Amino acid sequence: MSQSILQLENVESGYGEVQVLWGVSLSVHAHYLTTVVGANGAGKTTTLRAAIGSNKVWAGRVVFEDDDVTALSAHDKARRGLVLVPEGRQLFADMSVEENLEMGAFSPRARTHYRKNLERVFGFFPRLAERRQQKAGTFSGGEQQMLAVGRGLMADPKVLIIDELSLGLSPLLTQQLFATLRELKQAGLTILLVEQNVHLALALSDYAYVLTEGRVGIEGPAHEVAQNPDVRKAYLGM
Amino acid sequence: MYDLVASLASGVLVGAIYGLAAIGLSLIFGVMKVINLTHGAMIALGMFALYFFVSVLGFNPYVSLLPIVAGGFVVGVMVYWIAVNRVIGSSDLMSLLATFAMNMIIIGVGTALWTTSPYNVDFSLPGISWHGYTIPGTQIVAAALAIVIAGLLYVFLYHTRTGKAVRAVASNRQAAELMGIPTRRILAIAFGLGIAVAGAAGALIATLFPFTILSGGSYELKSFVVTVLGGLGNPAGALAGGILLGLIEGGVAPFVDVSWTPVIEFSLFVLILIAFPAGLFRIGKNH
Ligand SMILES: Nc1ncnc2c1ncn2[C@@H]1O[C@H](COP(=O)(O)OP(=O)(O)OP(=O)(O)O)[C@@H](O)[C@H]1O
Ligand SMILES: [Mg+2]
Repeated sequence: MSQSILQLENVESGYGEVQVLWGVSLSVHAHYLTTVVGANGAGKTTTLRAAIGSNKVWAGRVVFEDDDVTALSAHDKARRGLVLVPEGRQLFADMSVEENLEMGAFSPRARTHYRKNLERVFGFFPRLAERRQQKAGTFSGGEQQMLAVGRGLMADPKVLIIDELSLGLSPLLTQQLFATLRELKQAGLTILLVEQNVHLALALSDYAYVLTEGRVGIEGPAHEVAQNPDVRKAYLGM
Repeated sequence: MYDLVASLASGVLVGAIYGLAAIGLSLIFGVMKVINLTHGAMIALGMFALYFFVSVLGFNPYVSLLPIVAGGFVVGVMVYWIAVNRVIGSSDLMSLLATFAMNMIIIGVGTALWTTSPYNVDFSLPGISWHGYTIPGTQIVAAALAIVIAGLLYVFLYHTRTGKAVRAVASNRQAAELMGIPTRRILAIAFGLGIAVAGAAGALIATLFPFTILSGGSYELKSFVVTVLGGLGNPAGALAGGILLGLIEGGVAPFVDVSWTPVIEFSLFVLILIAFPAGLFRIGKNH
């Protein structure tokens, strides 16, 4: 069993008056790919946003590398290596591909590995290398997702958190991005993934959580969760 | 005929300074969607700062720009943390009220200190004479410096790390935060820069015309017109808008009384708003 690098302990959060998370606990192990699945509106995005500090944690704790980081701002967490590739890409639309990648590497830690990370990103996504000067906003959806992942990698994450990797992408591109994910995992990167394509996600993951109405319902090694009758019925269409 | 050409030339030169002032306003709006109503007051403070450095301390006016820009930046950062930071993200009305309140405070203190009677910085340079008309040297140097300052700002925004972070924050503040960019600090820097530029524009104007603590108001209004004309959001667009406004002013000056200038300017403002409703402040926007 490897070390847990990121833990959420009974996290409660929400928007305004509306509580969405009702005590979510989950643990991300180093070098593992951990997946969170759940129905639309179950609170997956909110869980990730609470973890990285975009959403205020109302109760509970977030622990990263044995430090309580609950109260840190999102940019401080990013600097420590907790990096979110957000749902809907959220690129810097009127900046070039290269500038987007450069901004990914804004933190001092990421800056020292700029060259190495840039080569790696261009290795995964040669298309980005060809289009360095193009404005991110003029990219197709698929290209934008590559850039969003690339920008996240430029931040030199210790835990790469991805919200909806394949949303709106063609099956081919989905396969390609999952192949990239597999390579990253094999290279030892710790990944926390939220994904609509539950089948693909569980096949690649080590560990999985099923979120239901702001609570963790089922959890376990991904292959076991994939066999769970409730999961098979609700998410795998079997 | 000659008077029209001379008037147009002068309009272009003064217009470059209008452009610089507008850059200060549009930078702040572009980055944080705050319409900075202290803009005019800051222009006026730039004027009085120039008076202080030149007429009290005996500095060269152009050398005085350095401390004025630096001081404007510090004042801007302070105003950001005092009045703007806490209303970022709440309704637009809140930031309007917050900056309007700061504006009233500055104008009030300025009136108490300096009254509202006109001040004048006694300074001139040899100009260029042409068919009996003279373009003052101060106008030429002021326009050149306005363009230089706008150029420096462009270099900062497009070729430095912090400058790119300012654009990233303008483009998508949430995403910038996710990438480890301390967005509040970047907002403070952008606000400081906007004020520094406004102060510099005020100082340049003070080398040309007499002024009072209330003079900033009309330049603030011109900045709105320029921003509509220039639309864009990059310094070059605002500069072009300023020069266009200067040309219009220069073009009508020989034919009508000066009191008609604002009428013409604002009629233009309204017409452009009707024709290009989306053209207003399209800065750092996702298309
Ligand atoms: N900005 C917001 N303001 C108010 N309520 C929100 C906001 N964002 C999400 N919610 C609500 O919080 C709940 C959980 O949303 P969340 O985005 O975390 O779900 P999700 O599991 O990521 O869903 P999806 O699969 O559709 O992405 C939903 O009921 C949603 O309506
Ligand atoms: Mg979601």
